[in-house]
Amino acid sequence: MRNSPLSRRQFLRFSAGVAGLAALSACAPAAAPSAGGDANGGAAASGEAVNVSLGLTWEAAFQSHQKEFDDKFMEAHPDITLEPVYNTWSDHNNVVPTWAAADTLPDIIYVHGSRAFPWAFEGITIPLQSYIDTDTEFNVEDVWAEALNLYNFKGEQHGIPYDHGPNLLGYNKDMFDAAGIAYPDETWTMDTLRETALQLTDAAGEVPKWGWSAEMPGLSNQDGVSSLGPWGAELLNTDENTLLLDTDAALESTQYWTDLILVDKSAPTPAESQAFEQGPWIAGQVGMAVVPSWETPSLASFSTFAWDVAPWPEGPVARATGSFGSGFSMTKNTQHPDQDWAYLREYLSKEGMEFMWGSSGRGSPARKSAYDSWMNSDTVPEHVHYYLDALDTYAITGRPYQTLAAAELNDIITRSVTLLKSGEIDVASALAAIMEEGAPVLTAAYERLNS
Amino acid sequence: MVLTISALIRRRPLTLHQREQVDFYIAILPWLLGLILFTGGPVLASLIFSVTNWTGMNLAEVKWVGLENFRTLLFDDGLFWIATVNTFYYSFGAVTLGTMGALFVAILLNQNLPGTTLLRVIYYLPSITSGVAISILWIWLFNPQVGLVNYLLSVVGIKGPLWLGSQDWVKPALILKSTWGIGANMIIILAGLQGVPVSLYEAAKIDGANWWHEFRHVTLPMLSPVLFFVVVISVINSLQILTDVLVMTQGGPGTASFVYVYYIYQAAFQYLKMGYASALAWILFAIILALTLLQLWGSKRWVYYEGGEH
Amino acid sequence: MSETLISKPQMTGGAVKSTPWYQSRRARNIIHALIVYALILPGACVFILPLLWMISTALKPSNEIFVYPPQWLPSSPQWNNFSEGWTAYLNFNRMFMNTLIITVNNVIGNLFSCCLAAYGFARLRAPGKNFFFALVLATMLLPVEVTIIPQYVLFTKLGWNNTWRPLMVPPWFGWPFFIFLLRQFFMSIPMDLDEAARLDGASSWRILWSILLPLVRPALATVVIFAFIGNWNNFLGPLIYIRSVDKQVLAVGLNMFRGQYGQVDFHYMMAVALIVLLPVLLIFFFGQRLFVQGIALTGIKG
Repeated sequence: MRNSPLSRRQFLRFSAGVAGLAALSACAPAAAPSAGGDANGGAAASGEAVNVSLGLTWEAAFQSHQKEFDDKFMEAHPDITLEPVYNTWSDHNNVVPTWAAADTLPDIIYVHGSRAFPWAFEGITIPLQSYIDTDTEFNVEDVWAEALNLYNFKGEQHGIPYDHGPNLLGYNKDMFDAAGIAYPDETWTMDTLRETALQLTDAAGEVPKWGWSAEMPGLSNQDGVSSLGPWGAELLNTDENTLLLDTDAALESTQYWTDLILVDKSAPTPAESQAFEQGPWIAGQVGMAVVPSWETPSLASFSTFAWDVAPWPEGPVARATGSFGSGFSMTKNTQHPDQDWAYLREYLSKEGMEFMWGSSGRGSPARKSAYDSWMNSDTVPEHVHYYLDALDTYAITGRPYQTLAAAELNDIITRSVTLLKSGEIDVASALAAIMEEGAPVLTAAYERLNS
Repeated sequence: MVLTISALIRRRPLTLHQREQVDFYIAILPWLLGLILFTGGPVLASLIFSVTNWTGMNLAEVKWVGLENFRTLLFDDGLFWIATVNTFYYSFGAVTLGTMGALFVAILLNQNLPGTTLLRVIYYLPSITSGVAISILWIWLFNPQVGLVNYLLSVVGIKGPLWLGSQDWVKPALILKSTWGIGANMIIILAGLQGVPVSLYEAAKIDGANWWHEFRHVTLPMLSPVLFFVVVISVINSLQILTDVLVMTQGGPGTASFVYVYYIYQAAFQYLKMGYASALAWILFAIILALTLLQLWGSKRWVYYEGGEH
Repeated sequence: MSETLISKPQMTGGAVKSTPWYQSRRARNIIHALIVYALILPGACVFILPLLWMISTALKPSNEIFVYPPQWLPSSPQWNNFSEGWTAYLNFNRMFMNTLIITVNNVIGNLFSCCLAAYGFARLRAPGKNFFFALVLATMLLPVEVTIIPQYVLFTKLGWNNTWRPLMVPPWFGWPFFIFLLRQFFMSIPMDLDEAARLDGASSWRILWSILLPLVRPALATVVIFAFIGNWNNFLGPLIYIRSVDKQVLAVGLNMFRGQYGQVDFHYMMAVALIVLLPVLLIFFFGQRLFVQGIALTGIKG
């Protein structure tokens, strides 16, 4: 038989790293140390460089920017070697639990706001509170409290946000100019939005134009606050174990957004908006849309129209909009938290945020002191300061973010909301369905949290 | 001399038979080792997890819950039944259309006409490019207003449905999309067609058979082992549909395209319910196993093996 | 019905050139061909759309990608998207070599292990065969979503994390899909061939190598094509097992053009995807030649 010579030759030729068949049979579970390639384990004091691995998700275009920061950091800290481990953005949330199960987590990982709470609960991320408390230079007060909340688990910070931004009202200046309508400003209410959306709509043409975009009613996270808040409604209580969608305010606000689609027809239905890779807004087919701060770079590079942002319109009860963000945490598998902190405190310092996300235009920095750099960057709209105003005054982080059932609840909401937007069910039954399906899920999650 | 030869002949079948048995085990040894070393452990692990509340992350906190996951699934979880019904609906359509479509195209592309090789590539292209993110193309094709599908329907005077935006039409849309993937089955069937001896067709011609008789009495029987493979694999794959749902519909609108493995994926990686996801997976395993064994049993009636069954 | 078209012109070619009978046979062949084209070409137009879409996107400037209604023709083709996408951010040369090494190893590994196992299941008689074959099928039935984490834990315990071993070793130990496929092809070959050879003193391996493998050449070509494409496009395995950028493969690199919140360089992504597609097309054409060689051998069968 030509079994062994063939295979051995192939192995030798094609892979220096692969053990031969013989070696394989000897591979009894040897409990090899392989956590993040940390060869020097806990060698914090050994004098050799400590390897700090970073679990990141930046797209290819931004990776060189990260490298620039890391190179500078390593120059200043010869005792630390940084090792980036890149996941694709869309798969990061699946790979991290896989790493966690095998104890191969990198020392520091990117954590989206929606994952902060469950990952803290599962022990994937570890508390940073002692570092924050003792490192006075870090100045945690400079970070927006709403941003920190996302990473707070049972009173302790399990991560530090780098980017946090609110929803604002974006508008297509070209469409406003063509219709001869004045741009939105501080005086706008939800009534103004509705009237203007109707005026901007021309859905009859072969290439339809709508006044309003497709996101609302969102009901959860940042869109939930922007959707419900102006009417004084909320999705959840602060313990996040009870849904609050059975109020008149919730009904009224959801009805308002649904009417834009189904009564006024000034916003596309889900079926209509499906024709667009990134939604009808970026394609230039709608006059106004929800524009969170993190969407400004892609708008700047992909849109073919002039655009700007205005404050989120005031509702019958309040001016309110939702915010959300991302951050970084240290993981349970790190062997040298002190070195990790040495990196994080600089990476997420004023200067770090300015370099990484502010002046690059990448996203609204979570530090107040770093905000100017973002507002002065190339990719932001003219009235970018409205983002700062919102964070300073009326933006709050959109729930759910402190329940283990956030993902499940969001799916439940999406299922009913798409039917609502398509006109297959009415507002009352959509909200009732969410309440009914969501209640047991939230209760179970709350019990698990406190058991 | 005569005696030794006859002794040899008498003894030979016996040793040959034993030799064959040993050879069988040598032949399957790599696969068997792989099963034991790489596949068996994870499979058993998932079976064990199906009776726990594991979240999929922290192995230190796995708690035994007995058959609770299975009980909840079968009696308390409406989504489980929705997913099961949706998946069977999809699978039936996808297997039927996919197999017949692949057979049809393969036979047409087995004629040695100019351009056949290029056409084979074209029909196989969507299967190769599936790794690339072109979901927007499919979504756009099904767009009610400007999509190609509804345009083609309007040419023959039919007003097309909302497809992905409609609870009634989203599953047919996914089935239609799946036919873009017939390329792989087409290749397998083409390979099978190469094995049909020309002499059989010539004999049929001499007997005055028309194309239908040829197809029915030569092509189909000779191709049946390959068709059997295509059907079994198509059933397995279609019952495990995930990617199209993930990128095109996310189970919606409502729960209209909420399919089984999408539920497993959500439970395993989004809802922190790996134990529950494992229970879901093992129920699906049982369902597909039953179907596959049924097909193996049924194959005796229609699959013709030139090498004989043994 | 199919091969008649190949053989008939050869049979009749030089014989009776000017008779009406030949004329009508030729006319029939042309009509036959026209019917085939009429049936196959409309479908081909639909099936080629993904490729056209990729080419169109690859040639667009970034601000024309999301315009509505979608446009097939870029205003001015950006040919440098190919070179920029390939070199701007990631080391695709390195990734190309990595992917090639892994893929070639895996194709050979799959061919070796799956031919052996399929041969055993199709043509060797032994107790327990049906049980083991059911096991082959059974391992295809469990969704990978629930085994991927335990498998990752297993390979990590073996010390294989951040190496190519989790990708390159398992193919040498069989792949149920290919085992099943090859078994079906082996089973459609008459048994007398083996038995005659066996009586002549040939070993099982000699029979496999000299008699059976040449007869299932189209099936082997199919396995090569499938294994090549499957490994070439494999995304999930490399994503999980490989941490160092210099060991990473093309499928993961491609998806790295895609970032958070719509930060996607689609034009680069599609340009690189087209380059990545080329070797696959080459393998396909190469595999087609094996198909044709298979036809020449069909005379032995039946």
